[in-house]
Amino acid sequence: MKLKSKYYLAWAKDEKIRKKGANGGFVTATLVSALENDFIDAALVFEKKSVYEGIPVLTSDPEVVKKCAGSLHGVPINLTRFVVEYAAKKRIGLPTKPCDARGIIEQAKRRQVNLDNIFMIGLNCGGTLHPLRMREMAAVFYGLDPDSVVREEIKEGKIFLISEEEGGEEKEKWMKIDELEQKGYGRRDACKSCTVKIPTMADLACGNWGVPQGEEKTFVEVCSEKGGAIFENAMESGYVEAEEAPGKGIEARKKIEAGMQKLAASWKERMDEVSTLSRSERFEFYVDELKNCIHCGACKAVCPVCACEDDSKCLDMNDERDSYAISMYNVLRIFHLMDSCIHCGQCEDVCPVDIPLTLIQRRFSERMQRHLGYVPGMDITEKPPLYETELRWSARVE
Amino acid sequence: MEESKGEEWEPKILAFCCNWCSYAGADAAGLERRQVPPTIRVIRVMCSGRIDPAFVLMGLLEGADAVLVTGCHIGDCHYVNANYKTRNRYEFLKEFVDELGLEPERLWLRWISASEGSLFAEMVREVTEKIKKIGPSPLRREWKK
Ligand SMILES: Cc1cc2nc3c(=O)[nH]c(=O)nc-3n(C[C@H](O)[C@H](O)[C@H](O)COP(=O)(O)OP(=O)(O)OC[C@H]3O[C@@H](n4cnc5c(N)ncnc54)[C@H](O)[C@@H]3O)c2cc1C
Ligand code: SF4
Ligand code: SF4
Ligand code: SF4
Ligand code: FES
Repeated sequence: MKLKSKYYLAWAKDEKIRKKGANGGFVTATLVSALENDFIDAALVFEKKSVYEGIPVLTSDPEVVKKCAGSLHGVPINLTRFVVEYAAKKRIGLPTKPCDARGIIEQAKRRQVNLDNIFMIGLNCGGTLHPLRMREMAAVFYGLDPDSVVREEIKEGKIFLISEEEGGEEKEKWMKIDELEQKGYGRRDACKSCTVKIPTMADLACGNWGVPQGEEKTFVEVCSEKGGAIFENAMESGYVEAEEAPGKGIEARKKIEAGMQKLAASWKERMDEVSTLSRSERFEFYVDELKNCIHCGACKAVCPVCACEDDSKCLDMNDERDSYAISMYNVLRIFHLMDSCIHCGQCEDVCPVDIPLTLIQRRFSERMQRHLGYVPGMDITEKPPLYETELRWSARVE
Repeated sequence: MEESKGEEWEPKILAFCCNWCSYAGADAAGLERRQVPPTIRVIRVMCSGRIDPAFVLMGLLEGADAVLVTGCHIGDCHYVNANYKTRNRYEFLKEFVDELGLEPERLWLRWISASEGSLFAEMVREVTEKIKKIGPSPLRREWKK
């Protein structure tokens, strides 16, 4: 059998997986099938500890994969560095938000991983919440004890928090995302302004956009040959069922994506406090923010596109005794990421002194990437332009 | 920064010159007895391709009022195509300096051959003049007396 179409509605045949899955349990069933049919040695999934915490687990046990079905919106962890660290030599399968997939592709460009060994099941992504802000949000806006929240769900522009009351009774409360975000809560800044919503750079792109209301199915776009082959195999070996997606669903999905991209673009504009500053005010802003850096190195350790180890230039050339207005570490990290930053916000999430790194990295890299006509993390055949010999834009000028 | 009265402020300009062309060009300027403003500090590298952008950035952080990246004309690099890479990296530096909020005049790229002593002197004069107009770099940190 050869897949006839690019777009499907698919679901897990196993009712338990289908129930536990975020939508149709397709992602989990496909990972299980890939494991059982020897396409991969291990799967990398998130084990839920609470709504605020998920830990990445690398496992060859299908039962563990099944246990990890479902979406965790309060877990903004990017999986790229885990793949590099623990699974670079293995054949693995994993769910990837657009920023996971883009990070992995950038690492592959830098020869840290081999894409042939990685099966990326992309997840559409409306965004994640920072766990600490989410706890605050639960207390302040939902009037809940943050620890009583057992589940969360995002649908129809609302964030639902389901808490367990004394006596085991469940209570559901919701608020509009827009309203929360106007007040500075809701999704992380990086996610609010993220414009890559459907991970077509992965092998499959899965989500609920385009699924008819009330149906427990996952919308699947086949994005690569490998993705198609593993999908097909999962059907043939009885793990998943699928039907071609109706034209209406495909249209609806496209429309929602465009709407989300528009919203992201407007957030990006609204949140950029630097754009209205003069040149010298801009300089003061950067110096003022970056002078707080304590050089803990966390932003470098989590960055999905940085492939340097401990003997990197930004660390080597930094001297704590220097009295520069901005440290070499910060200057070099910003400079080296101008062509490759994917604006995932991991750096800001971990910064102990709350430097607005997403905004800073974005300000520098976005203008460079526009100038280069280059979007990182999309295409393995495109080298990072900083390492190129020829001017990338000279072709465009002529 | 304190300047004694009456004395005109002199910019500090850092120039990276490649051994085979622009350094020889600077030498030629001297041999030809050309006036070169004393604002310039030259660092010789074997090739402009050796000028890691980190050097330029460190020069600015150290307080240079301008940094000049110089080398052989495109096509003349003694290491095949290394100055193409220089040109590529310079494009990144330009965007960086501009975004950081420094004036674009604090960064220069010039190709100068071994025989172009006049061009070298001319460049230093031009840069010095421009920098005198915009004043010291905001990154400059000097001990107050
Ligand atoms: C943060 C987030 C936001 C999303 N936003 C949208 C959206 O706006 N629109 C849309 O159409 N779809 C969105 N999705 C995708 C959707 O929620 C489902 O994941 C997708 O439809 C697959 O459903 P499924 O039942 O087949 O997956 P499942 O069988 O439930 O498998 C999901 C897999 O994702 C893993 N996972 C859970 N949380 C995360 C995480 N934070 N990061 C990476 N992997 C994780 C789980 O461990 C599991 O292996 C989002 C997913 C996530 C994680
Ligand atoms: S940065 Fe984009 S892809 Fe990554 S979690 Fe946020 S919205 Fe999703
Ligand atoms: S610099 Fe920050 S926002 Fe950019 S890719 Fe790295 S972690 Fe993500
Ligand atoms: S995480 Fe913050 S404090 Fe730590 S090195 Fe990065 S910018 Fe500095
Ligand atoms: S030798 Fe002069 S630029 Fe390479």
